[in-house]
Amino acid sequence: MVRKIIQIAIITLLSGSLAQAATSQENYNYYCAQCHGLEGKGDGPNATESQPVSPKDHTNTKEMSKLSKDDIIQVIRDGGIATGKSTMMPPWGKTITDAEIQDLINYLRKLCNCKFENEH
Amino acid sequence: MKTFRFSRFAGTVVAVVALSGLLPGGVEAGAAEGKRMFDAKKCGDCHQTEGPAKAKTIQDQLATKGPELWYAGSKFKKEFLGKWLKDPKPIRFMAFNSLTKKNPADHPQLSGKDVDEVTEYLMSLKSKDVEEGVVTPDKNPKNRNIFEKKQGCYGCHPVKRGENILGGLTGPTLIGAGERLNPAWVYAYLKKPKVFKPVKRMPVYVDILSDLEMKGLAAYIGTFE
Repeated sequence: MVRKIIQIAIITLLSGSLAQAATSQENYNYYCAQCHGLEGKGDGPNATESQPVSPKDHTNTKEMSKLSKDDIIQVIRDGGIATGKSTMMPPWGKTITDAEIQDLINYLRKLCNCKFENEH
Repeated sequence: MKTFRFSRFAGTVVAVVALSGLLPGGVEAGAAEGKRMFDAKKCGDCHQTEGPAKAKTIQDQLATKGPELWYAGSKFKKEFLGKWLKDPKPIRFMAFNSLTKKNPADHPQLSGKDVDEVTEYLMSLKSKDVEEGVVTPDKNPKNRNIFEKKQGCYGCHPVKRGENILGGLTGPTLIGAGERLNPAWVYAYLKKPKVFKPVKRMPVYVDILSDLEMKGLAAYIGTFE
């Protein structure tokens, strides 16, 4: 009986934590896709003609494979300015966790169908 | 003569007492009528009017159908709210929570005394986390610099520059923000995002912008026409 209660408690806790955690695709579609588009092509609703820069096309294998994983993490966490790029890429480090940023890196690898610099 | 003086005095006292009782009572009555109208029109199907914030995950937030209004009285300016309820022009270019559909601009509109009463009701929905009067609209170039250079706020929020409209489309428009928003609320929203909207498409700027910068940003947005 006690064992069953513990089992139920564990399942309840797990299902609760699973409901809380956002997947990398959820995070990408909710935050990143605003500018980079739902398919990652750099064509989200914020990619208007009036913007000073165009959002990066995450499906561009050649361009994406020139970037290092550390630089991408830094840009997501601290914004474009962290690597001398545009401030139009905002800092997300206080919005999503480091673990979620790591997950986004994996998601970006899928989108670009590439490995990042020094990962070969 | 004495009787006349006394009755005039008594009359004044009665009038003052009646008025002092009536005025706030009138507002309360208007708010109560407004709530009845709000409920009758099922506005609560889309808008949350009781705090605290409920949506704690992306899924929760995506399930909401309209902006939370439980702090509407701290967020909006009363004159704006009245005008908007009569003639609801889209504040967002995109449909609520959508990145693919344009705002259909089909928000129900109110007329007659319903406008005043619902405005009274919404203005009665205050947040204790908004400290009135802490921000005064200010076009200081330092504030503009935070908005345009330190952070690219117009990356998501449409703004007006001269006759041109610039910026992204996913954030609520900041065109006319000076007329629409209470700058003290903008500051509180930047300072305590978890209180007002724990999950939102805008980044959290706590520990990225200083308190002074948040106030400056709110002051600058307060000047937007």
